[in-house]
Amino acid sequence: MKILSSAGHSKTLTPALLLSTLMLGFIISLYGQSEFLLQANDLWQILIAPDSQDIKQQVILLLRLPRSLVACLIGFNLGVAGLLMQGLTRNPLASPTLFAINSGAACLMALNSIGFAFFSALPSELATFLGALLGGVLVFSLGGGLRSDSNALRLILAGIAVNGLLSSLTRAALIIADDTAYSILHWLSGSLSEIDWHSWSQLWPLSLIALLLAFSTSRGLNLNALGEQTANSLGINITWLRVRVCLAVLLLTSISVTLAGPIVFVGLIAPHLARALFNNNHLVLLPASGLLGAALVCWADLLSRSIIPPAETPVGIITALIGTPFFIFLVLKGKL
Amino acid sequence: MTRYTQLLLSGFLLLFLLACLSLAMGAESLPIKTVLQTLIHGGDQDFIVNYYRLPRILIAILVGMGLAISGVLTQGIIRNPLASPDLMGISGGAGLAACTMLLIWPNIDNVWLPPIALLGGFSAALVIWLLNRWHNPSPARLALVGIAISAFLSSCINFLLILHPVEVNSAMIWLTGSLWGRNWDYVWPLLPWLIVLVPFSFYLAWSLDLFALGEDTADALGVDTKGLQIAALLSAVALASVSVAVCGTIGFVGLLAPHLARLLVGSRHKLVLPVAALVGALLVLSADTLARNLAPPLELPAGVLTAIIGAPYFLFLLHRYKGY
Repeated sequence: MKILSSAGHSKTLTPALLLSTLMLGFIISLYGQSEFLLQANDLWQILIAPDSQDIKQQVILLLRLPRSLVACLIGFNLGVAGLLMQGLTRNPLASPTLFAINSGAACLMALNSIGFAFFSALPSELATFLGALLGGVLVFSLGGGLRSDSNALRLILAGIAVNGLLSSLTRAALIIADDTAYSILHWLSGSLSEIDWHSWSQLWPLSLIALLLAFSTSRGLNLNALGEQTANSLGINITWLRVRVCLAVLLLTSISVTLAGPIVFVGLIAPHLARALFNNNHLVLLPASGLLGAALVCWADLLSRSIIPPAETPVGIITALIGTPFFIFLVLKGKL
Repeated sequence: MTRYTQLLLSGFLLLFLLACLSLAMGAESLPIKTVLQTLIHGGDQDFIVNYYRLPRILIAILVGMGLAISGVLTQGIIRNPLASPDLMGISGGAGLAACTMLLIWPNIDNVWLPPIALLGGFSAALVIWLLNRWHNPSPARLALVGIAISAFLSSCINFLLILHPVEVNSAMIWLTGSLWGRNWDYVWPLLPWLIVLVPFSFYLAWSLDLFALGEDTADALGVDTKGLQIAALLSAVALASVSVAVCGTIGFVGLLAPHLARLLVGSRHKLVLPVAALVGALLVLSADTLARNLAPPLELPAGVLTAIIGAPYFLFLLHRYKGY
């Protein structure tokens, strides 16, 4: 691949391009495609002449800024989660979406929010965490991922089946709770329309812990890429590595689902792009995949607002429309 | 009476009883006696029984048969236990076409639904066929490609429905498959297609048994294998598409029914096909009856219930399947 061979020459160029794409998306999403007409100049005004009475500045500071920040951080989380899963399972299709971690979290989140049985007593973060765990455990145990002769294709097919099952349950639960709610469609597809500063303060502390945990595993993942036995003989405690990676993935995914619902396929696309742009060192790949995920969600959110303004399309539908052809491409390329 | 006839008869009996039950139960429960009287003489409950529940039951039976037969033909020709019209993207294509048409012309006559869905179904089938020719994937990978394509198509449907919000129950028809609000106006456009396609599939089933011996053997025994493959695939796509045109993408019936039928009567298509059709009808009818009665007057989409049964069965198939 051309991109791969030129990676060596562009050690600074590629990250710079990536960062500027992200920054551009972030800045445009602060003022672009808004119900309330805003211009780039208004952003500038905040910096040079802050005025707490100005309605435009208030809109940007209270609505747009938290939304863009949350979009980026959720994208970062999902990109990192996808890379961790692919690194640990050495399965190129592993991702929160295809291993039903997203839909498990969404299922328990739905049960939690409609007040089903004892789920209503749990805080929503814990409910989504348990849901993510449930989805992942179901896929691995039913897809034979725990056996020594585990098969990558079977694991993915099992993931898809569990995904179908859990999202059907979510749909049923939401319909029984409220038959007129069109929000079912929006929330189930992952939407950023109800984000405010409170969501941000919910998101960043847990994300920070999970990301630190994720980065602490990068050396282990590099050695794991050589094969489990090699990694073992090089002094990596595989079980401990798995526990840490799983915990990080579950935290990263579940906190994102709590706030925005399941935003699909980001965790599949970002790691593959990162690997095409950079080398295979997880120390580099983890931030790269995270930044790509952040840029993807940020731009997808911008796009989702621009399709039928002033109404909003859920951002998850945009990522699904980009992600599914990418998924087909990966399968046909024989990546599995 | 052979065991097979007994099986068929008991299947019909079960279907009949279930239909009676489904006529009687719902948001407004009626005694069986009233139902039978209303069926013959009309009366106070005429609307509920004859215009609301009866056509819905008929559609459930017809659609279940259509999807099941389509599944038998697909699995027979591709010789892939994981194949079925909904997992190959054919239902998705048909659903997308029908849904798009309804959003563009909301008042169009229902007669046009099946042909438009056919167009969508055939396009999806063409894509799968081309991918299969270029890449020649293994059966399990073909299933994965099919699932990926249906995921893409259903996110397109999702996208369309968000762009043009409709009432949530009608949206659910295209998202998960549902029999909500289906009445006599939908029976008539569906019926002629099935009257042609179902007997044709039974005719094909005779040759499919020879095909199962392997292509070369079938050739040697005088079967026109190319022609048979094409005819069977075309009718499988057509059956799935017209079913989807009426009640959306009800998932897993086309996968589940043929497998259950084979468990019951072995693998000869001649025997499997009628049993699979019965099982399919039973599946969709019981899913719809349950969907109406779990939390009346609320309705769940029938497709949600078939997925709750079907997805675990798919997992079981994965567990047993060895040819990855």
